[in-house]
Amino acid sequence: MAKFVTIGERLSTTAPAVNKAFTERDAEPIIKRAKQQLDAGATYLDVNIGPAENDGEDLMKWAVQLLQSEFDNVPLALDTTNMKAIEAGISVYNRAKGKPIVNSADAGDRIANIDLAAANDAIVIALCSSGMVAADNDERMMHCQNMLERGMMLGMDPSDLWFDPLFLVVKGMQEKQMEVLEAIKMFSDMGLNSTGGLSNNSNGMPKHIRPIMDSALVAMAMMNGLTSAIVNPNDLRLMETIKSCDVFKNNTLYADSYLEI
Amino acid sequence: MPFNHKPQKFNAKINTVTIGSGDKTVTFGGDSTFPFYSFDAPAENTPKVGVEISDMGLEGFSAGIKAYYEGAETMGDIAKKAAAMEGADFLALTLEGGDPNGANKSIDELLAVVKEVAEAVDCPLVVEGCKNVEKDAELLPKVCEVLQGRNVLILSEKEENYKAIGAAAGLAYDQIVGAESAVDINLAKQLNVVTTQLGVNAQKIVMNIGSAAVGYGYEYVVSTMDRIKGAALSQNDNMLQMPIITPVSTETWGVKEAMASEADMPEWGSQDERGIDMEIMTAAADLAAGSDAVILRHPQSVATISKMIKALA
Repeated sequence: MAKFVTIGERLSTTAPAVNKAFTERDAEPIIKRAKQQLDAGATYLDVNIGPAENDGEDLMKWAVQLLQSEFDNVPLALDTTNMKAIEAGISVYNRAKGKPIVNSADAGDRIANIDLAAANDAIVIALCSSGMVAADNDERMMHCQNMLERGMMLGMDPSDLWFDPLFLVVKGMQEKQMEVLEAIKMFSDMGLNSTGGLSNNSNGMPKHIRPIMDSALVAMAMMNGLTSAIVNPNDLRLMETIKSCDVFKNNTLYADSYLEI
Repeated sequence: MPFNHKPQKFNAKINTVTIGSGDKTVTFGGDSTFPFYSFDAPAENTPKVGVEISDMGLEGFSAGIKAYYEGAETMGDIAKKAAAMEGADFLALTLEGGDPNGANKSIDELLAVVKEVAEAVDCPLVVEGCKNVEKDAELLPKVCEVLQGRNVLILSEKEENYKAIGAAAGLAYDQIVGAESAVDINLAKQLNVVTTQLGVNAQKIVMNIGSAAVGYGYEYVVSTMDRIKGAALSQNDNMLQMPIITPVSTETWGVKEAMASEADMPEWGSQDERGIDMEIMTAAADLAAGSDAVILRHPQSVATISKMIKALA
């Protein structure tokens, strides 16, 4: 099995400093955050430019070229609702270190992002929902099947669809947590890849609690076959947990310094 | 149903490491398949064969090997004859005389041998220490210094002395670092990690993951090499993608099959042939399990293994 893929989430317009840097095309803060995440062990970096309705194409191209030239063609997840911006980003993307990830498609309004990924030989994150959070796993798996079939009809390799069960917040949906984990197990049993915004589980919790909850959940999810997650790689406890789980799963060979590599 | 050949493709390959200088170089590694799986992908490079000589001269060598070196008076003569052996790709000088529990030669004496050999031949060189971790930590950095510019492979740094030897070979004097572990896959990886953490370029490291003569706990060697190649290729583990060199002769010429005289063991037949058989069997198995280079003594073993490599690659 391949090592767990971490997608660093810290380049996002939801952070005011990043938003400002994107708007002003200020490279320095972007590079700094990217470097912090890569040093901490992120495999992919998510580039969330927000809706970017006006200059999305230009902005995504700028961000892709900036990051890939600075960090040896680091693989990227292109994250925006602006499809033209994703295509523009892919047009300048270097695949030497991995295919681009389209973030994201769902089974509703955003299903065309699967077509976009298929047309561009990209990976796509496929959210198993349609507008609303799926009511139960029957609905989740129906969305999963529909998106899988759509991708395969368009010639995609099933391994290029990374299914997202949608991690749910514990404070409010505690009783749904095991269901999400079961969905991951079902993806895994079908031989499919999976990912998701894992830290959503701990939204609204005190800052010192979140790494503990996130680490526990990632261990349980990896046990169930989760192959990737969109995370804050600068959460040391979380990264240590992921690396340790990779050892237990025999995804990587143990060495005493395994936490340092 | 017709046979449908599906090549096993990996998005990873073993590093290539070149030793030697000028137009006399040899390259280890480069494979992106399991050993000799040329049906999966054409081999970029073939395994290499080195000839072992010792600072102790011909003293410990079998009659057959001594016969090959007949007429060689000095270490320089021995080195020239060794380098001229049919099938030899490089020369491996072991400084076993430095062992405090053996001849306990001084570092200056050993450096004089190193210089004499290096001046006699211009072929790619491997220099092996005396195996005593404290003495090697003093000796090998000095070897690195006197051989500056020759781009030699230094065998070996171990867990106990990697800082002194790794830093001298890999950083100060720009040689190739040999990282030695004793048939322990986790330690093999760990030693590569800490060596690169010193600042040594991963592309300048060759592993000696340990060896044994066939029949002497040898299955652990095979299993370790097998798993290293598996992790290097299928998991793309860049802390295990260093090529592997295996000193065969030091193991095989020290076991009873090679040492017992014909007078003691008449039913075993020719002593020299037994030694050659042990050396060839072990080297062939090492190569099939994942060694990118082997070090041998007997001219017949060197010629045979080099022929085997050409036939299989």
